Amino acid sequence: MDLIDIISTPFMQRSFLSAVLLASLFGLFGTFIVPKRLGFMADGISHGSLLGIALGLLLGIYPILIAIIVASLYGFMLSRVSSTSNITQDGLVGVFLSGGMGGAIIIMSYVPGYKPELFSYLFGNILTIQWTDIYFLTGFFILVTTIFVSQWRSLVITTIHNDLSHVIDLPVDRTKYFLFIGTSITLIAGVKLLGVILVSALLIIPVLIANQFGQSLRSTFGLTQLIGIFSTLAGILISYVMDYPTGPSVAILLVMILMLALFYKNIKAKLSH
Amino acid sequence: MIGNKKILSDASCSIPRKALTFLVGENGSGKTTLVKSILGLLPISGGNISFHSTNGTKPILGYVPQNVIFPTPFKLTVSEYLKYAAQVPRNKITNVIKRVDFPESHLSRNITELSGGQAQKMLLAAELYRSPDLLFLDEPLSNVDDSSEKHIIDVILEVKNEGVSVVIITHDWQFVSSYGNHVICLNRNFICDSGYCVCKNSLSKVNIKNIQKTTPDPNSTHSGYCYIENI
Repeated sequence: MDLIDIISTPFMQRSFLSAVLLASLFGLFGTFIVPKRLGFMADGISHGSLLGIALGLLLGIYPILIAIIVASLYGFMLSRVSSTSNITQDGLVGVFLSGGMGGAIIIMSYVPGYKPELFSYLFGNILTIQWTDIYFLTGFFILVTTIFVSQWRSLVITTIHNDLSHVIDLPVDRTKYFLFIGTSITLIAGVKLLGVILVSALLIIPVLIANQFGQSLRSTFGLTQLIGIFSTLAGILISYVMDYPTGPSVAILLVMILMLALFYKNIKAKLSH
Repeated sequence: MIGNKKILSDASCSIPRKALTFLVGENGSGKTTLVKSILGLLPISGGNISFHSTNGTKPILGYVPQNVIFPTPFKLTVSEYLKYAAQVPRNKITNVIKRVDFPESHLSRNITELSGGQAQKMLLAAELYRSPDLLFLDEPLSNVDDSSEKHIIDVILEVKNEGVSVVIITHDWQFVSSYGNHVICLNRNFICDSGYCVCKNSLSKVNIKNIQKTTPDPNSTHSGYCYIENI
């Protein structure tokens, strides 16, 4: 089967469309989440949101919708944690991760019968992506990019210095809620494609790769977008041809690109000495 | 208050309009806390901070912290910082950095690669472009080299003469004695009286016209009050 045949398959078209939209969304949020050292937050929220998926499966309600509600709550609670709180942000992430996953496994034991869909939610399955998912993603993408454009200045300055952002009168709290809750929803929007276990790879690794080459925010952001979109499309193709789950295919590809980038930087540095 | 810990109390002072005011006190006396409280960055559990502007509107505040640690993986250049922090147009960036003696060759440099002094100059350049009515500078000379020190002092005096109220946190008594007409002493280890200010642990005596004692102040009738005069 050649590339044209693969691309002309309707479910692959849906996968590619959702891949481009998701990779772009993850690039937007990752640009600000990674420098804030909140990469672990993505893992905690996505893993812990399995609780929502399990609840959805038990109650027979669209699991992704329940997971989005659960993830938004996690994001909201994390954004309420301040530097003077008795509980730390990473501590709370650990609570969401262990509590959410523990709760999900116990709830799943009450779901009767064989649970083949659980594996899809864990590691992603392009066959599960429907047109309704694409419509939701497109709407969400338009909303998020509109907010990003209007809040870009505030996002940049709050990332580098919170006090200065307050002095400049930027909407610090609004920006923080948008970043945390937006990232949480995006993580769950990516679950069908990549699965709860590995979805955070698309948020974190493209930014890490772009940071090896980018010299400015503008170039790093552009590179993040390109790397995210390329690796997700390529990962989907690999998963289709090799019959691998999509999440691991994309994650491994991203890790390999990062290793190559680090190797290249290392060699280049040694040669210049 | 930070958490349950009391950092600063009985801090009564006023900051005069269009003047250079020095805020002095030993380490841990609460200088930065007082400034952050005035800026609204820290909550106050009692007392009052009020701005009295001539036109009735809230003044534009500016702040240059002493040591800024930028997140390392964020690839923001100096020119991008000026663009986003102070909305400096591209064609004015060169003039804005020249004012604080910041090298033009560093414009495309990542802000995390700047030295402490260069970072402070960049922050000052952005704050000056924002044209604040009241500008707080936390140890503005602590990181800059000798050749830049004079330039920064000249810029500070220039903005004061342009009508900006400048408040400087400093340990530099030479700086205070040369330029200070208004000093706020925030410390028990300073003996401040009308006309002079002496640090108990040093022999330096600084002659100052206007001195405000903040801690302890038995004569204070409005404890916990910071009045910012006619900005």
